[in-house]
Amino acid sequence: MSVIFLAKRLVHSVFVLLGLSIVIFLIARIVPGDPVRLAVGARAPQWVVDNMREHMHLNEPLHIQYGYWLRDALQGDFGISLVTRRGVAKDIREFLPATFELALYSLFISVTGALSFGIISARYKDRWADNVIRIFSYLGVVTPSFVFAIIFLLIFAFVLDWLPAIGRLSNGLTLPPRVTGMVTIDALLIGDFNVFWDAFKHIIMPALSLAMGSMAQEARITRASMADNLTKDYIASARALGVSESLVMRRFLLKPSLIPTVSILGLDFAAGMGNAFLVELIFNWPGLSRYGMNAMLSKDLNAISAVILTFGVVFVVVNICVDIVVGQLDPRIRLSTAKGD
Amino acid sequence: MKSFKYLSMLLVLMLLLTACGQAKETASPVAAPPDTTTVEVPAGTETSADKSQLQVAYSWPVYIDPAVGSDEASSSALVNMYDTLIFPTSDGNVIPWLAESWETSDDGLTLIFHLRQGVQFHDGSELQASDVVYSFNRLKTIGEGYGYLYTSVASATTVDDYTVEFIQNEASGLFLPSLVRLFILNEDLVRANTAAEGAYGEAGDYGKTWLLINDAGSGPYQVTEFQLEEYLLMEKYTGWWGEFVENAPDQVRFVATTEAATIRTLMSSGEIDISDAWQSIESLENLDELDGVSIAALPTFSEFYFMMNTRIPPTDDINCRRAMAYAFDYDTAISLEWPGTQQSKGPVPAALGGHNPDVFVFSRDLAKAAEELAQCQYADSIAVYPVQIHWVSEVPDEEKFALLFQANMAEIGIPVEVFSTPWLSVVENTGAQETSPHIVTIYVSADLPEAGPMLKQRYHSSSAATWSQNEWLLDETLDAAIDDALSTIDTTERFAKYAELQSQLVDLSPSLFVYDQVQKNAYQDYIDWPAVRGETSALLGYFYFAPEISINK
Amino acid sequence: MSISSQSDLVSAEISPHEFSQLWRASRRESLGRAWYKFSRNPLSLIGAGTVLFVIILAVFAPYIAPYPEHVKPFTDFANASNPPSSSHWFGTDEIGRDILSRIIFGYRFSLTMGLVVLSIVVPVGVFLGLVAGYFQHTWFDTIIMRITDIFLAVPPLILALSVASILERNLLNSMLAVCLTWWPWYTRLVYGITTGLRNEFFVTSAEITGASKFHILFREILPNCISPVFTKMSLDMGWVIIIGASLSFVGLGVQPPNPDLGTMVAAGRRYLPDEWWMSVFPALAIVLVVLGFNLFGDGLRDLFAAENS
Repeated sequence: MSVIFLAKRLVHSVFVLLGLSIVIFLIARIVPGDPVRLAVGARAPQWVVDNMREHMHLNEPLHIQYGYWLRDALQGDFGISLVTRRGVAKDIREFLPATFELALYSLFISVTGALSFGIISARYKDRWADNVIRIFSYLGVVTPSFVFAIIFLLIFAFVLDWLPAIGRLSNGLTLPPRVTGMVTIDALLIGDFNVFWDAFKHIIMPALSLAMGSMAQEARITRASMADNLTKDYIASARALGVSESLVMRRFLLKPSLIPTVSILGLDFAAGMGNAFLVELIFNWPGLSRYGMNAMLSKDLNAISAVILTFGVVFVVVNICVDIVVGQLDPRIRLSTAKGD
Repeated sequence: MKSFKYLSMLLVLMLLLTACGQAKETASPVAAPPDTTTVEVPAGTETSADKSQLQVAYSWPVYIDPAVGSDEASSSALVNMYDTLIFPTSDGNVIPWLAESWETSDDGLTLIFHLRQGVQFHDGSELQASDVVYSFNRLKTIGEGYGYLYTSVASATTVDDYTVEFIQNEASGLFLPSLVRLFILNEDLVRANTAAEGAYGEAGDYGKTWLLINDAGSGPYQVTEFQLEEYLLMEKYTGWWGEFVENAPDQVRFVATTEAATIRTLMSSGEIDISDAWQSIESLENLDELDGVSIAALPTFSEFYFMMNTRIPPTDDINCRRAMAYAFDYDTAISLEWPGTQQSKGPVPAALGGHNPDVFVFSRDLAKAAEELAQCQYADSIAVYPVQIHWVSEVPDEEKFALLFQANMAEIGIPVEVFSTPWLSVVENTGAQETSPHIVTIYVSADLPEAGPMLKQRYHSSSAATWSQNEWLLDETLDAAIDDALSTIDTTERFAKYAELQSQLVDLSPSLFVYDQVQKNAYQDYIDWPAVRGETSALLGYFYFAPEISINK
Repeated sequence: MSISSQSDLVSAEISPHEFSQLWRASRRESLGRAWYKFSRNPLSLIGAGTVLFVIILAVFAPYIAPYPEHVKPFTDFANASNPPSSSHWFGTDEIGRDILSRIIFGYRFSLTMGLVVLSIVVPVGVFLGLVAGYFQHTWFDTIIMRITDIFLAVPPLILALSVASILERNLLNSMLAVCLTWWPWYTRLVYGITTGLRNEFFVTSAEITGASKFHILFREILPNCISPVFTKMSLDMGWVIIIGASLSFVGLGVQPPNPDLGTMVAAGRRYLPDEWWMSVFPALAIVLVVLGFNLFGDGLRDLFAAENS
C-alpha cells in the first residue's frame, strides 16, 4: 500500500469530515425553537435558561458558536441529550458497541453468503442452482431491509417461534461485564455460554435483515465477475494444463473476482448503516442507530449531530479500509489510484 | 484461500479501528463520574432466580430524578424509591406518611409538618427536616417535572430536626394534596454527587447527572441497575420504615418495551407480570385469550378531549361547536375502547373529587346538530372553513377517533381535515394562538385528585399557550372564579364552586368531552394487584406501588 | 446562448428541418433495434411490464381500486381488521379500510416521490458534474466535488432521515430531504464521464473551432452522459421509492390518513402477528414496484452496454 496514497486519503477524509461538521452544525442551528428551553423544560425559571444560554455560548454569533462546538466535539463533548438527559458522548460510547456487533455479524453473513452463492452460481452457470440463486438475489436486492425485518419477525419469531422477537438478551439474564460492549463476545470472554447462546439468538434476525441486501448484491457481482473471468485465456490454459477444477476456482478465479465484490463493500456498508436505523428500531436493538432514530424523532439536536458525525467517521474509515483491501488484492488499482484522481 | 486472509484482515482492521475509537472516547474528559451506568450489585448476590421479581413493561424514557420526572413511567419509579410527607388513598384523601401530623395556620398560609423519627435513607443515614427543605428547594429551582405544583409556595424552612414549615403566597386548599409529589432526597448524598459546573449557579448541576441513574431516597425499593432504554431494576430496601405485604417482590424490574408482539410473547412465557398501559384494543383482546392472563381496567384521572380553538372560525362560534358536540358519535367512539370505558360527564374525569355528576352530557342527535349549525354564523359558508383536527402521532389509536369525527361531521356538512402531528409539534403549535389548530385530540391527566387544578390546567388563562389548553378561552371572569374556588379552604364549599364551574364550561362547549380514560394493563393472575380492586390511588404512579403488590406463584 | 447553438446547427450545412427529420429517422430506426434487443430479454420485459402495470394502477387508481372511497374520510369499524376475503383481497385495516385500494392509491405517492426527486436531482447533479468535470483542476471543480464528498460522507438514508426529522413532517419535506442526499451521485457519475471525455478528439476539435463552452458542455459532452444517466435513473426510481418508504415508515413522510406504503407497513406492524395482512401486503407492494424498476433498469443497462461495445 502506498503510504502517500494513504496519507492523501487521510487528509482528504479529515477535510470531508470537517465539512460535514459544518453542514451538521448549520442544520442543527437552523431549526426553530430554543434548545435551552427544550433542555431545561417549559417551567424552569428564566434565570436558569439565561445561565444555560451563557454557558452554551448561544448568545455569540454563529461562526463563534461553531468554533466552540467544534472544540467541544473534538474533545468528545457533544453536549447533553434531551432524551437521555446525559452527555451525548457517553450515550454514544454506550450504544455504539451494540451497533458494531450487529454490523460485524451482518458483514460476516453477507460476505460468506455472497461468496458461497456467487461461486456456486458462477460454477453452475445457467443451471438450476444458478437460476434459483439469481432469482433470490434479485429479490434480495430490491427488498428493503425493514421489510425483511418484518417478514423474519413474522416467520421465525411468531410462526415458528425459533428466535426471540426483540432485544439483545432475554429477561432474567444478566449482561456480562462490559469489556468490548459486544454481548456475545463479552459472554465468551467470561465463558458464559448460556448468555452467549441467548445473545446469539437475539442477533441473528437483525443481522440477517441487514445482511440480505448486501449479500444479494455482492453475490450478483461475484457471479458476474467470476463468470467474466472464466472466459479469460489464463483460465483456459490452466485447465488445458490439467490443473484441477477446484484449484482453478480457488487460485486463479477467486482472487481477481473478489475485487469488484470488495470494492462495493464500502457502498453496501453505507446502505447497511442507514438501514440499521430502521432495523434496530424494529428489533428494539439497543444500538447507536436506534438511539439516533429516537433522537431524530424527538428533535434531540445534540444527539442527532453527534450520531451523524459518528457515522460519518465510521463510513470514511470503512472506505479507507476497503481501498486498502482492494489495493492488496489488485496491484494495478494500487498503482493507478496512487497517482491521484 | 488467500483471499479469505484479506477478508479476515479487513474484519480485524475494522475491529481495531472501532476499538481505537472507543479508547479515544473513553479517555475524553466527560464531566460525569466514571461509568455509573450499572450500579454495583452488592457482592455475593444470589442469582436472580432465588428472588421474587415483579416484571413490569414500561414505556421509555423514565426519569428517576424527582425534579425531572412527572410522566407515568417516571412517577411509577419515583413512588417506589422515595417517600413523601403524605400518601394518597384510593378515596382521594391523604394519610400521614413521613409526616406524622401537621397543622395549618388560621390564615391558611402556613403549614407545619412533624416528621416521623428514625426513617433511614438507603445509605443508612437519617431523614431529617433539612432533607425536606433541600428537596423542596431543588424541585422549585429546577422547575421541571412536578416543580410547577409549588410555584405559589414561598418557602420551606426547618423548625427543628423533625419539623418543617411551609409558607405559601396565597392560601390554597391544594397545597396539602400536592405534597404527594414532593419526593424527599438525601441531601448529603446528593451534595456529595453534585458536579460543580452546571446550569444552576452555585448549586452546580444540582446532582442532576448523578440522579439520572441513581436514587437518593428512603422508599421501599432502591435502584440496583439502570440500563438506559432497556430496564430499571430495583431491589427491596429491608430498612424501609413501612410495611411490605406478604410475598411483596424482592425485586422490581421495569422493562422498556411496549411493542405489542413482544409483550404478547413475554406475557405468555411469564417473563412479564404486568404489561404496559399502551396496548391497542386488538392486542389486549389477544392478551386476554392467554391462559392465566387477565386485563385490568383501572379508572384514571385522565380525560380524552377534543380541544377546540375558540379564537378561529368556525370553532369560535358556540353554535358551531355545539353542532359538532351533537353530531359526534360518542357511542361508537366508546365502543372502540376497552369495555368499561364511560363517556365523560363534563370537563373533568368523574374519578376526581369535586366532579359534578349532574352536568349536561351531549349525545349524538343529528337533528339538534343541524339546528345548532343553522344558528352558527358560518352556517352558509361552512365549506370555506374546513376544520382541521390534529391527533398525536405517537398515540396511533387517536387516529380512529379523528377519522370517526371526520365521518360524523361529513353527515352534517362540516368539512374536516385530519392531520397526524408528532407530540413535539403539538406542543409547539399550541404555544401560540396563530398556530393552534381548530381541534387537537389530547388525553389530559390530573396531577392532583381534585377537579379544581384540572379546571385550572385546562381552562385558566395561565395555561393558554401550553398543550393543556388549545381552547384559548382567555376569560378573566372564569379565571377569577377558578382562582377563587382553588383558594377556598373548606372542602364542601370548594367542591360546590367546582360544580358550578363545570356546568358553566359545559354550556360554553369549548371541547368535546369524549371519555374518561381507563388504563388497561394485562397482568398475570398470580399477581395480587390492589389497583385492580380499586384500593390504590389513581394518581400517576401509585398503581405500581410495589410493597402492596404480592406475587403468589 | 440559444442563438449560438442555433448557428451551430446551421453551420452543419444541413437545414434545421432536414436535420431533425434525419435525426428522427435514425432515432426511429435505432429505437426499433433497441426495442428488439430489449424485448429478447424476458426479465427486462417483466420489469417493463411491472413498471407499466404500477403506473397504470397509480394513474387510474380511482377506477381500478375496488373501494376508492376508502382513501377519503371513511370509517367502518364494523369491518375493521378483517382478514383477506373475496370482498377484500388483502383484508382491511384497523379502521375498516380496504388495504388493496389503499395500496393502489399508495403507489401514487411512491411514484410522485420518485419522479419529483429525480426530476430535481438529475438536472442539478448532471449540471454540477458537467461543470466540475469540464473545468477540472479549477476552483469550480474543487468546490463542487468537495461539497459532493461531504454529502457522500454520510449514508444517504441517515442524512435523509435527519433532515426530514427536523423539518415539518410531510411529503414535500421528505422529498426535499431525499433530494439533498441524492444529487451527489449524479454529479459523481457525470463528473467521471466528463473528465474522461474532455480530452477526446471531438471535444478538443470543438474547442479549436471556437465553439462556446455552452455548446461543448451541452451538445458535445452531455449526449454521451445520457445513456448512463438514463440507466441510473430507472434504477434509482426503485431506490428513491425505498428511501421514501423508509422515511414514511418512521413517520416522517406522507402523513396518515393518506395511504402511503411505508406508513401502512408501520401502522400494520403494531398488529403483528395476528393481523399480518396489514403490514405484509403493503410491504410486498413496495418490493413489487422496486423490482419492476430494477429489472427495467438492468435491461436498459445491458442494452446501452451492447450498443457501446
